[in-house]
Amino acid sequence: MSELYKKLETIVSDKYLSNDIYVRHAYSRNVDIVLQGVPDIVIRPKDAQEISEILKVANEENVSVIPRGAGICEFGGSKPIGDNGIVLDLKRMDNILKLDEENLIVTVEAGISWGKLNENLCHFGLYTGCMGPGSGMSASIGGGISHHSVGGGGCAKFGACTNQLVSLEVVLPTGEIIETGSQANRFSKFPFNKFGNGPDLAGLFCGDNGIFGVKTKVSLQVFPKPEFAEYKTFQLPRKEREVSAKILSEIRHKGIDVYDAIYLMDLLVRIYTQEGVMPMWNQLKKKRGVIFYTVEANTERELAEKVNQLDKIMQDNKTEYLGSDISEGNIARWHYEEQGHWQFYHNLWGMFPTMQPLTAECFCPINIYPKIMDDIDQWDVEHDGDMRKIFEVAGNRPITGSGPILLINGNNVEITCGFASFGSYINGEMHHFIEDLNVALWKSLLERVTKHGVQWYMMGEFMSRLMVDIGAFSEEFYKLMKLIKKTVDPNMILSRGKFNFWGDK
Amino acid sequence: MSELKHLKKEWKAVFSCMGCGDCGYAIRPAVGRYLTCPVKEAKGEEGFEIIFSRGRMNVLKSLLEGQIPLSKELAKWVYQCSECGNCTEVCHMTQNENIILPTCKWIDHVKVWEALRKDLIESGFAPLDRHGNIINYMNNDTMKNPYGEEKSKKFEWIKEFPEMKDRGEFMFFGGCTMPLRQVDTLKNMMKILKAAGVEIAISKDEWCCGSIGLRIGDISPLTDIAKHNIETFNNLGAKIIFTACAGCYRTWKKDYPELLGEVLPFEVKHITEILIDMLNSNKIPFKSDVGEKIKVTYHDPCHLGRHMNLYEIPRELISKIPGIMLIEMKRNRKNAWCCGAGGGVKSQFTDLAIEISKERIREALESGAEILTTSCPFCIGNLNDAYNQMGPEIQEKIKLIDIIDFIASRI
Repeated sequence: MSELYKKLETIVSDKYLSNDIYVRHAYSRNVDIVLQGVPDIVIRPKDAQEISEILKVANEENVSVIPRGAGICEFGGSKPIGDNGIVLDLKRMDNILKLDEENLIVTVEAGISWGKLNENLCHFGLYTGCMGPGSGMSASIGGGISHHSVGGGGCAKFGACTNQLVSLEVVLPTGEIIETGSQANRFSKFPFNKFGNGPDLAGLFCGDNGIFGVKTKVSLQVFPKPEFAEYKTFQLPRKEREVSAKILSEIRHKGIDVYDAIYLMDLLVRIYTQEGVMPMWNQLKKKRGVIFYTVEANTERELAEKVNQLDKIMQDNKTEYLGSDISEGNIARWHYEEQGHWQFYHNLWGMFPTMQPLTAECFCPINIYPKIMDDIDQWDVEHDGDMRKIFEVAGNRPITGSGPILLINGNNVEITCGFASFGSYINGEMHHFIEDLNVALWKSLLERVTKHGVQWYMMGEFMSRLMVDIGAFSEEFYKLMKLIKKTVDPNMILSRGKFNFWGDK
Repeated sequence: MSELKHLKKEWKAVFSCMGCGDCGYAIRPAVGRYLTCPVKEAKGEEGFEIIFSRGRMNVLKSLLEGQIPLSKELAKWVYQCSECGNCTEVCHMTQNENIILPTCKWIDHVKVWEALRKDLIESGFAPLDRHGNIINYMNNDTMKNPYGEEKSKKFEWIKEFPEMKDRGEFMFFGGCTMPLRQVDTLKNMMKILKAAGVEIAISKDEWCCGSIGLRIGDISPLTDIAKHNIETFNNLGAKIIFTACAGCYRTWKKDYPELLGEVLPFEVKHITEILIDMLNSNKIPFKSDVGEKIKVTYHDPCHLGRHMNLYEIPRELISKIPGIMLIEMKRNRKNAWCCGAGGGVKSQFTDLAIEISKERIREALESGAEILTTSCPFCIGNLNDAYNQMGPEIQEKIKLIDIIDFIASRI
């Protein structure tokens, strides 16, 4: 048994600590098909104090630590980079600590899922507004905060989930435990506001992809869930990319506080119907893209007015209303009433056996996404030769495209883009060239999209390093980020390797 | 390193798992989904990800890629699974017929777990000790049941029913659990059938259906078992055979035809399908004085529900019993919480199985039901063990009873 293991055993009991090879492999992968890192140890702490002690030991032993919420990163963010280190499984910390109904603030342990929190809140007529990432029914709050997540619902109205953040408890890589926002004042009785008491240090940890600290306690604003809602789906006319962007832009310019507005491109509609995923769209004569909105209101009258305004935008842009029922193609109803399913956001996943995503997720202004989508198509044409090499072994060609375009805060959208491909293991044989090709293509495509000036928000291993490798960060920004990293994490133990913060440190 | 003969056949399922983690954490109240893995939840804070489907799939990917070997240590993890199939349900879950996730075409988790178990057995890393005993009992010619009882003991209960035929078109397959552990329920079944004027036949040469061996992964004797049982009942003129055990029902109706690659020469039914026919044709003489309505909730056995899609008939049956109000638990039908007994968990990890059942009983209590009923002797057995540990504060509020016993008490 290693010295490290013995030291960790003094912090948590052996029930929460494992160096079993099978446990380690269980934590070695995330969602993508090419990135793997097997930890040396998996540990399940119960609170910030234990995490603090674990991080101090990791510093003494110079061992990397990777925090892991629900482990749903698509880009290798919650497993080690390389085979080493400690995975810190935070799912033991999944309690609601306090619901302050008077001030509409909930405080939770960071490992709780958005699904569990919202299930609890609904008994009080409340919700979190932005329902976290697309994987919200499983994803952890801490993971959402670490990535400015969007996609689980409500991000057109509420923006990224970090918008609702009030305060954070964070364990720094060297073991100190800090609280931010109103809680920076030690006389404050309860969290109530993110800003003030000096600079917004909570902001340092929002979207940090787990490099500056381990989130352990999160206070979020919560909202009364409006009593009324409507949800409609429309098929787009020709030139759907431009039209959809125009619609989303008009929604913003008219100031309608739509809850969600989402565009699904023609490729998805075509493949969905072809592969029997969406029988509700079988009746569509032309397999063009669709756009849908969901909108909430406190009164029927308010709702009617919002719907009128939205419908007018849709009509003016020559869209075709698909009908109210899900069976008529109204995916918006399913999305809102039945809370959808997060794989709907990554719709090419699993389209054929073993087909999995090599994607990434970014923010960009509404007015540039049609060009990005066109360029992704162009990239696919240019790489047809490589795609065919995979086809020859896998029996299906990888599919390139963009997942739904989601309206988020401001005049921005979120794009999930990339391609869905096949792993190296096919019918009993390893085809290593597929892995090499997948990595090369993935890098190539995301580099191309990066050069459109987008903002990657969930970066994991892959995008955080690619941004550095291709020189996408402005020199000054990267220098500052590195300086902060060195200051808070001198041994670079936390999420070692992300943003290339290792090697020369 | 093992050849992984069986697991390799499931490679598409293994590598189609995207690692989304809904099999561990999904909560989606709008469609009645409140978590997924009963073993993970019963393990509580000790629930490393290898306990539930995603983590296990990650391990299987590494196995298939040749990174790690099969071993006895792996077997200890793998058998802590009741094979309830709830992970399959959530993996495929749109809960809407208009939207179908493609994963439902590629991934059948229980098939994957069983393939792995077969490889572990064939490589000599399994069975685990208690499973080994069960397999020995089943293969013992003087026993042919997983309880280690003499073969003849299974048929002692018949002595009280001299009218029982030894051949006929309508035959009962007794299985092992009821004749050896829940004889009173069998007697109650006979009471109902007698009251309805229905005659049945039984074979004293039936063997254990083999379900437990299948679930553990020891398939070597299964072809012989299936052929013996089918031939036995066929030779006795059976046109319909029915069973009161959900495990036997699945094995007869699904596993035998798959294993042998042929259609059975008779129809296989579950007792609830028989009882509903009798009830609908007014053959069951229920008491007329039923008093105040009793609230009853129904636990879906995994082998009947998720594995065989038999959800509504037991509910129809219960709701038609005079004086009954059927109410649902929070998790029901496809989302139902497992009792924890299946997949060999009850025999090898008894405490774990009981913890899972306690959770189910608490859920039944939360529903407001006064009676928790089900239609599987294995579920009843495990729920009962949990119930007996839960003390009077629970027992005074809710009763646990097999659906057969319940109907018998109302005639």
